[in-house]
Amino acid sequence: MVQWKTMVWAASMATLLGGTALADDKPFAGVELKMLGIGDTSVTRVAPIVGEFEKQTGIKVHIDQLPYPGLIDKIVVEASSSSPTYQLLWVDSPWVGLLGEAGALEDMTARAKRDAKEIGLDDIIPVQLQENTWQGKLLAFPASGMIWMQQYRADLLENADEQANFKKKYGYDLAPAKTWAQYRDIAEFFTRKKGELAGGKPLDFDLYGASQSYSRVQGAITHDYFPFMRSFGGDYWDPKTGLCAMTSDAHVKAAEYMKSLIPFNPPDYLGLMWDIQSGFMERGEAAEAAYWSVRSVRLTNPKEATLATIGKAGFAESPVSDAGPQPTYTGTLGFAINAKSSDKEKDAAWEFIKWATSEKIMRRFADEGSGVSQFRKSILSDPALQKKYPYYKVLLDSQVNARRRIFHPFYQDMEENFGVELSKYMAGETPTALEALSNACNAVNSRLSIFPLEQRLRWIQDVPAEVLAK
Amino acid sequence: MSHTAGRNQRIALIFLLPAVLILFVTTIYPMVYALWLSFRNYDLSKPFIPRIFVGLANYLEILTSQAFFHALLTTFKLMAMTLSVQLVLGVGIALLVTQKLPGMAVARTLLLIPMMISPVVVGLVWLFLYFPELGYLNYFIGLVGLGPVPWITSTRWALTAIAIADIWQWTPFIMMGTAAALQSLSPEPYEAARIDGNSRWDVFRYVTLPQLKPVLISLLFLRAIDAFKIYDIIYVLTKGGPGDATEVMSLYIYRQSFTFWRMGVGAAASFVSLIIITVLITFFFKSMQRSQVTQAR
Repeated sequence: MVQWKTMVWAASMATLLGGTALADDKPFAGVELKMLGIGDTSVTRVAPIVGEFEKQTGIKVHIDQLPYPGLIDKIVVEASSSSPTYQLLWVDSPWVGLLGEAGALEDMTARAKRDAKEIGLDDIIPVQLQENTWQGKLLAFPASGMIWMQQYRADLLENADEQANFKKKYGYDLAPAKTWAQYRDIAEFFTRKKGELAGGKPLDFDLYGASQSYSRVQGAITHDYFPFMRSFGGDYWDPKTGLCAMTSDAHVKAAEYMKSLIPFNPPDYLGLMWDIQSGFMERGEAAEAAYWSVRSVRLTNPKEATLATIGKAGFAESPVSDAGPQPTYTGTLGFAINAKSSDKEKDAAWEFIKWATSEKIMRRFADEGSGVSQFRKSILSDPALQKKYPYYKVLLDSQVNARRRIFHPFYQDMEENFGVELSKYMAGETPTALEALSNACNAVNSRLSIFPLEQRLRWIQDVPAEVLAK
Repeated sequence: MSHTAGRNQRIALIFLLPAVLILFVTTIYPMVYALWLSFRNYDLSKPFIPRIFVGLANYLEILTSQAFFHALLTTFKLMAMTLSVQLVLGVGIALLVTQKLPGMAVARTLLLIPMMISPVVVGLVWLFLYFPELGYLNYFIGLVGLGPVPWITSTRWALTAIAIADIWQWTPFIMMGTAAALQSLSPEPYEAARIDGNSRWDVFRYVTLPQLKPVLISLLFLRAIDAFKIYDIIYVLTKGGPGDATEVMSLYIYRQSFTFWRMGVGAAASFVSLIIITVLITFFFKSMQRSQVTQAR
């Protein structure tokens, strides 16, 4: 009898101790998180493997993947709700000011500093972290790093016959464009009809010289125009008034240049959203595209892009204008924590962010051939990976002198007003670039001018990230 | 007796209460709230902006906005395009399907299908047809040697493309109403017209059309209200673009409310729309009454 009691006591203790050990091992066991995400590489790569994270931590993560257009609308509604459905939010870096000033995102600075070694903070390109800050606070963590760069059909640009013909016509060597004038020459040269020769082979389709975004939907056109504008030496704001200042010569020249590329773009250029634009490159139907590196990885993957089979993709830094070299725009797609989540959910969400953006996971994506656009120095500088993904070197080199994109609380006003006005200008409805830009700027300024100067100046100030302070 | 009447009245009220409550929650409260919003500076994305009472400022902003009047004009253009074609086609098809010919019953049923499909699905179907590179329409146009038409990506074609999709969906509505009216017409005037030796066109013009007029006005009036509110098809096909070529009133209101997050301005624009549509309805009613009085004389 005594022996039986001893056995029951020992078993109970063992269960209790084992249970405690298990609970210590997985302090977030049973926590469920929902992410409002995008249906693009920064999320689609991680979504199928969240089960592994659950096994490790006991945290269950459900990811809802939505298209980019309309996603910010849902995030704003979610942020304004007092009982949020989503604890994790996918954030494009220009939204950080809008969501940050509204207090919608949790400040991750303290957590990132605490876990600096674990997350390899020094391994992350500094401007990628800066991209995710608002007033110096880290509000999102990079999950995909971007740069606006040149992507082209290397098989055509390296073809000896094409090179000879190009030199005969334009008087200089055919190579990835160094200037925007060269970029337009290349676009003009390669605009060909089905049946004509390209790279010595008859074309099965019309080949377009370039593929740029001209659609007004979700301000897609601005995502190309703003980097063009930067390249021509323009900027968003007047540093003295904090108001929109996009009506200078540089801004006008950038818009006029973009319009001058229309004859070499697909005829339905006004409908070119990002996926349609990049689709032309992926199918090999465009000779070049100045575009965000977010989908560049697809161009070298035969499962995702015909170009990898019928030709070869090449990558180069953004060309320059008469204004000379300018810092190009960078961008980050990141994961953020909803500020209205409970403390436990916030901690669990941070665990997920650490795991999903870790060097181990990012390297795994790169090794498996389905890498997202990277933001870690160790991965981008890896010679083997650079060979596998030729755009890694361009992405790394461009970041040295890159500048963060717009981060203003009135970002959506900028994107929408410039989207509509530039689209009208490109369609020929607004006669001059200056008129289109003035219309858009006036619409933005009519909202901004009611705020005190001090507040407007604070909104355009890029406060250095506290997380980067030594 | 009076006690029973009072009791019956109370019971009637109790039975009515659920319907009144539903009406209050789904219609009256949102409308009153929207009216309240229209007088406030309310930006959903910027809680740091004081949500204060601004009087008629939102209304004044709309009524001095070029974009608002552009949207209004685009709405009327679209209404004119769709309603005129739907009327002509709808009446024509109704005349055809009410003939005693084989297969007309089946044809009538098949023709009603577009009307039963959700507008979002209609938008998607037409998106596949219009799609610039891979759309079926351009494929078929290409077979007869014509160049591809940038249906939804050109400021010249986009509104027409929207109108075609709307006409496809809602012509059956006019057809159905007209067919029902045609079948209920008295045969005597037709017999008299035939005896008088009138041509088919004269019979249609002087006998059928006057009798159909009240029904056609009612059908047009219902379609006009619906066309004024068109949203789903445009959202799926063009989202108001290219430029602002297809930005109608509902898209303008959506943009103010859910892109710029200016809920007050969006609500004010909704009420201005309501006033416009009410004026339109009143005009239609008056003209209908006038027409009936003239006919009666």
